[in-house]
Amino acid sequence: MIAVAGEVNRHDRTAPRALLVVLACALGATCSAAGAADKPRSYTVVIEGVAYQPAELAVKRGDTVAWVNKDPFPHTVTVPGTFDSHEIAAGSTWKYVARNAGTYAYICTLHPNMKGTLAVQ
Amino acid sequence: MKSSIFSFAILLIIAGGAVAQGAAPAAGPNDAQIASIVVTANQVDIDAGKLAEAKGSTPDVKAFGKQMVTDHSGVNQQAVALVTKLKVTPEDNPTSQSLKAGGADNVKTLQGLQGAAFDKAYVDHEVAYHQQVLDAIDKTLIPNAKNEELKALIVKVRPAFVAHLEHAKMIQATLRK
Repeated sequence: MIAVAGEVNRHDRTAPRALLVVLACALGATCSAAGAADKPRSYTVVIEGVAYQPAELAVKRGDTVAWVNKDPFPHTVTVPGTFDSHEIAAGSTWKYVARNAGTYAYICTLHPNMKGTLAVQ
Repeated sequence: MKSSIFSFAILLIIAGGAVAQGAAPAAGPNDAQIASIVVTANQVDIDAGKLAEAKGSTPDVKAFGKQMVTDHSGVNQQAVALVTKLKVTPEDNPTSQSLKAGGADNVKTLQGLQGAAFDKAYVDHEVAYHQQVLDAIDKTLIPNAKNEELKALIVKVRPAFVAHLEHAKMIQATLRK
């Protein structure tokens, strides 16, 4: 085991740096640079006052977006022909995993003036 | 149509009177009266919506009527839950009475109409009605509501009336074509 560790130290100069990152993370520093950025993230869009908040959201492929309906009546998150939440009841949440890259302009089919954009990179 | 325009004109006069009275601090509606106005305003549009869901001659008008029933029922459930929690008993007042009378007039007019004439009369009234309620919200209800939760509820549901007004105008424009 000791010999293997010696090998790593001799041939991989990034090892001490990786150790530093681990230490920094343990101390509570921001770890996004240490590879956490590759993990799928979760986002929330609140539907309230007949509006999507935020109305524009950029995510990466594999990320999950949850639309939480805080209005006392149903809404939808719909990109005609691409994805459709159908009715999200008052107080309910609809989750969508963004698998395909692109910019999607969505609406609420019940309230056509409600507009949002989901950009998937 | 004439009667609905007429009743709308009366409502405007009443609403105008309420605003004029609002200049004197004690003259605005109290929270119990505001609660009654909110519940009545929703109920009136639920009644008209049910009729449109059944009698509308285009899918747009039927769907809009159904949505009015759903949305205003949802708002009313929240309003009733709040006034129950606050132990406020909705109190009849000139504004809620005129809303009720205007709603009854509208339903009566609509019951006598069919097809495209029904659609037009219903949608025209929805545009006028939502505009009227928005005016009441901005000029009478929000400025006079004393209880913060009641005021917050009215502020929260205001965008629904804006969205309905815009949606009704969109349908109104397509019906004119």
